Amino acid sequence: MPDKEDKQMSEKHDHGEHKAAPMVEEVSDFEILEMAVRELAIEKGLFSAEDHRRWTEYVHSLGPLPAARLVAKAWLDPEYKKLAVADGVKASLAVGVDWIKSPPTGFGTPSDYCNLRVLEDTPKLKHVVVCTLCSCYPRPILGQSPEWYRTPNYRRRLVRWPRQVLAEFGLQLSPDIEIRVADSNQKTRYMVLPVRPAGTEGWSEDKLAEIVTRDCLIGVAVPKPGVTSNAKRPIHPAVHPVHHHH
Amino acid sequence: MSVADNNGSHGESGDDQVDSTPIAVLETVRRQGRVWGDLAAQYGVTNPDPPWKVTLEATCDVLAEGSCALPALERRWEEDELSKELYAEVPFPERQLLALAHSMIRRGLFDEKELARRIEDVHRRLTSV
Repeated sequence: MPDKEDKQMSEKHDHGEHKAAPMVEEVSDFEILEMAVRELAIEKGLFSAEDHRRWTEYVHSLGPLPAARLVAKAWLDPEYKKLAVADGVKASLAVGVDWIKSPPTGFGTPSDYCNLRVLEDTPKLKHVVVCTLCSCYPRPILGQSPEWYRTPNYRRRLVRWPRQVLAEFGLQLSPDIEIRVADSNQKTRYMVLPVRPAGTEGWSEDKLAEIVTRDCLIGVAVPKPGVTSNAKRPIHPAVHPVHHHH
Repeated sequence: MSVADNNGSHGESGDDQVDSTPIAVLETVRRQGRVWGDLAAQYGVTNPDPPWKVTLEATCDVLAEGSCALPALERRWEEDELSKELYAEVPFPERQLLALAHSMIRRGLFDEKELARRIEDVHRRLTSV
């Protein structure tokens, strides 16, 4: 055994400083199910392998960075801010997002409707976004929605008790700040343009964009110097879970 | 036509309840499948999402946008319904995957036997070396 360990150490050493990222060396039943569903759908003619490849590429390219950059640009350029608030789709072009032409359809998609509204916060007004019906989200500019955004718990409660739900997210707002909840729907997607925080004077667009996290763009957090990632959110179960037998 | 219109016609047919009777082949996956959170912890992988999440999203998109075989609003509504009981204890995105397969079988886009055969086939291929 010691010989074998020595050999393994030596082999590792021979590969120099490069370390492969850890990988899951196990095929799970869920991974197999995903492939099986996809292959059957292709075999049945529901879509082609090429269609799927193009959508995968598109989905893979999505993330929250363009929206963060839009906010940073708006903070630095009052004219751009006016454009963002007046025409979110047009303002998206400046951060590399074409709501019409980017999706594989080439004409937008029913899931990513081409009507982005940028909601501007003020010191006395806070916006927060939800989709009470399902999980509509401005994917072209913000990427995939987080799990908690999809939960019935968040969707039902935010519209009823926004101040309380925001407090659960760690965002305590004073009573004199008005909260407006924007309910995404089949025609419109929303993102929040938060107030630029103090302590960021003289910052570059890149540096500003770093503190505009996904949660700030949904409205459940506000940007803070030094905070560049989303807090871990608990996923609340249904209020009246039903236990079934396995 | 908007998704709302699609959903409306779905509702008008009277078929606005998803049949949440357990499906054997999916129950096997639900019971035996190892979820990403467990696998990632065991192997020290930091990615919060399984590698197949992107392809799953693409499948959902292309089913809705390309073929209109399964409109997004209907799929999400059924996922919510199925998540209340049948898949309540399955984490995300495994739950989304089970619900998608469930919705597709219930719509007759493929049947349970076909899926079971394909699962065996994929398993054989992926574990053959």
